[in-house]
Amino acid sequence: MKKPSFWVLATLAVLIAACANQRGPAEQAVTAAESALTNIRDMANRYAPDQLQAVDAQLSGVKDSLAKGDYKGVMAAMPALNTAISNLKDTATANQQQAEAASAKAKDAWGPLSSDVPKMVDAISSRVDILSKSHHLPKGVTKDTLAAAKSGLDSMKSAWSDASNAATSGDYTTAVSKGQAVRDQASQIMQSLGMKS
Amino acid sequence: MADDKTPAADNPFTQTYVVQSGDTLSKIAQKYYGDASLYTKIFQANRDVLSDPNKISPGQKLRIP
Repeated sequence: MKKPSFWVLATLAVLIAACANQRGPAEQAVTAAESALTNIRDMANRYAPDQLQAVDAQLSGVKDSLAKGDYKGVMAAMPALNTAISNLKDTATANQQQAEAASAKAKDAWGPLSSDVPKMVDAISSRVDILSKSHHLPKGVTKDTLAAAKSGLDSMKSAWSDASNAATSGDYTTAVSKGQAVRDQASQIMQSLGMKS
Repeated sequence: MADDKTPAADNPFTQTYVVQSGDTLSKIAQKYYGDASLYTKIFQANRDVLSDPNKISPGQKLRIP
């Protein structure tokens, strides 16, 4: 077998050296990107999950390149990956601030709701109890209306319990959403029973 | 919620009625409950302003539980 020429060996040596020169920076760049992503992962998972998934895929591709020894490819892909991580952080932070503002607003709205709705339900309950004892129903109120009010009371109590539990756990957005639905239903039943002038 | 009911007197959602000339509690009960005999419910809910179910005055604001 013919021995490789000096020039072939020299070229290989240069290539190997070049590769080795890029390996360190490539590994460091990937480690830094992973670290940056780890720092924002929890927030991103909650407030920008789709964007996080895309960045994870991007990072996975870069790590594949690193594993294959394509250090040049890694270095070429890093600017885009770093920009994606930075954008992800910005989006997640903005979404978090938006969610916190919405939650604070919902917490304010929960105060009047938590005071009013139980009283509305109590007023309806009282009227339903009295009408159930009546020999004749008043004008505008039918047996069906009364029956609907009775079943409505049960569903309102159940829904209000869900709303209260959500508020207790700090989820005021859900609490207000459910609470407003109960208030609307209570208002409708009061109307049907002639409790509003 | 239902086990700890708000008294009608403290409940802003309790319906109210302003007594007109010629009204009686029975007439009001007939109007709101369809049954004059249930006037005692109105009387009980207004014990703070009524001492006698037969004595109501025009202009009085009554709670209709």
